[in-house]
Amino acid sequence: MASLCKVMYNVSSRSSLLPKHCVFTTLRSCSSDASGGDGKSAERVKSGFAAAYEQHSGLRQSGDQSSGDETSFASLLRRSALSQMGPAKDKIIVGKIFHIVNDDLYVDFGGKFHCVCKRPPADGQKYQRGSRVRLRLEEVEMTSRFLGATVDTTLLEADATLLGLIESKDSKTKE
Amino acid sequence: MQCYGFIGLKHTITHNAALFLTLSGRSSKGNMAAGVLTGVRQVLRGPRLVSAVFSCHGQTFSSAAAAPDTAAAEKILNFPLTQPDYFRLSELFTLKDLFEARVHLGHKKGCRHRLMEPYLFGSRLDTDIIDLEQTAEHLQRALNFTAHVAYRGGIILFVSRRRQFGHLIETTARECGEYAHTRYWKGGLLTNASIQYSPGVRLPDLILFFSTLNNVFQQHVGIRDAAKMNIPTVGIVDSNCNPSLITYPVPGNDDTPVAMEMYCRLFKMTINRAKDKRRQMELLKGISASV
Repeated sequence: MASLCKVMYNVSSRSSLLPKHCVFTTLRSCSSDASGGDGKSAERVKSGFAAAYEQHSGLRQSGDQSSGDETSFASLLRRSALSQMGPAKDKIIVGKIFHIVNDDLYVDFGGKFHCVCKRPPADGQKYQRGSRVRLRLEEVEMTSRFLGATVDTTLLEADATLLGLIESKDSKTKE
Repeated sequence: MQCYGFIGLKHTITHNAALFLTLSGRSSKGNMAAGVLTGVRQVLRGPRLVSAVFSCHGQTFSSAAAAPDTAAAEKILNFPLTQPDYFRLSELFTLKDLFEARVHLGHKKGCRHRLMEPYLFGSRLDTDIIDLEQTAEHLQRALNFTAHVAYRGGIILFVSRRRQFGHLIETTARECGEYAHTRYWKGGLLTNASIQYSPGVRLPDLILFFSTLNNVFQQHVGIRDAAKMNIPTVGIVDSNCNPSLITYPVPGNDDTPVAMEMYCRLFKMTINRAKDKRRQMELLKGISASV
């Protein structure tokens, strides 16, 4: 999933590197097409390689624009990690502990809600505020419709099982 | 002339006697303690309110020396209303900032309120997604209105019943010099104020709801009471909230700490900007009057 996201980001970054002067070339190519290819009296008419270059850069720019604006909400949503992840059931994700109450770890993984996990018996003291942990996500929000109710009751929490700490090489070399 | 702000502190002119200022309760019982605030706050509020009242009734002054003074005062009050974005609030946030603060995430489909459907972009795998383009417009309007109220010396009350963000909201309110109420809302706080506190109490001119639901998922009583008392409200409405009675609803996520911190930061910056602008205009008026 992460590699897929990276590929998509590379494509988008390459397409956004269009030089701005292409705007002027599209205007020029429009004017040259209107005057006809053989008008040698007008100063702005180009022929041969120059005309072909302008025409193709115009085509390339219009093609990229039709693929969508980079900063529109729809494209941001489509490329977000939560959308790329798909259904939440049994997905392995990375979260960060932001609050601890005795043995309860409150982990934030980038969704709307946090999840609460019990401190595991193994390596218990290593789980501190700011530690990154691996989780298996069950649900992004725990809700259920009870009998006789018109709306769902929500617990305002996500559901995930703690798999373990993330041991990074940086923390090891610091020690 | 199009008005971009809320003109008239009409109800304050009737309550010109005492300025009663409420703060969020700190009593051990958890109920809202009715405490009178320090003299510093009162001194700061008093002269500004009085000058605003007098400038509204500028025609009653007969002396020639006062005439240019009231004209300048009226200009200070009326000129910002002629501009669409006088305080340049559109540079405070972008759509990408809202996206990164997870403002677009809503609750599950089953929790959806029917009246929030126009503000939703759609629903993905049963989770509602709020349309950030609409949110950005609504947020801009709400911030602009808040700025105009703060510019004119209005009292702003921050309300939320989410215990997770109570402290954040109280500190935000303190940092912009406004008031917060994040504890249990007693029944007649707004509607019975003249009996519960004292006759001639000044009520808030704007109430900001950072979450419109209380802890049992019912609508906060303050929304209905503010509508009864003609107090405009700005509210962050999530996909399970009812946006009907709120004057400036802002559809957005009200459950994630990142999103709440962003809203608090935005409102604090708006109010501070508006107040600084007002102080600047008053100084300029003072300089031009002495010259």
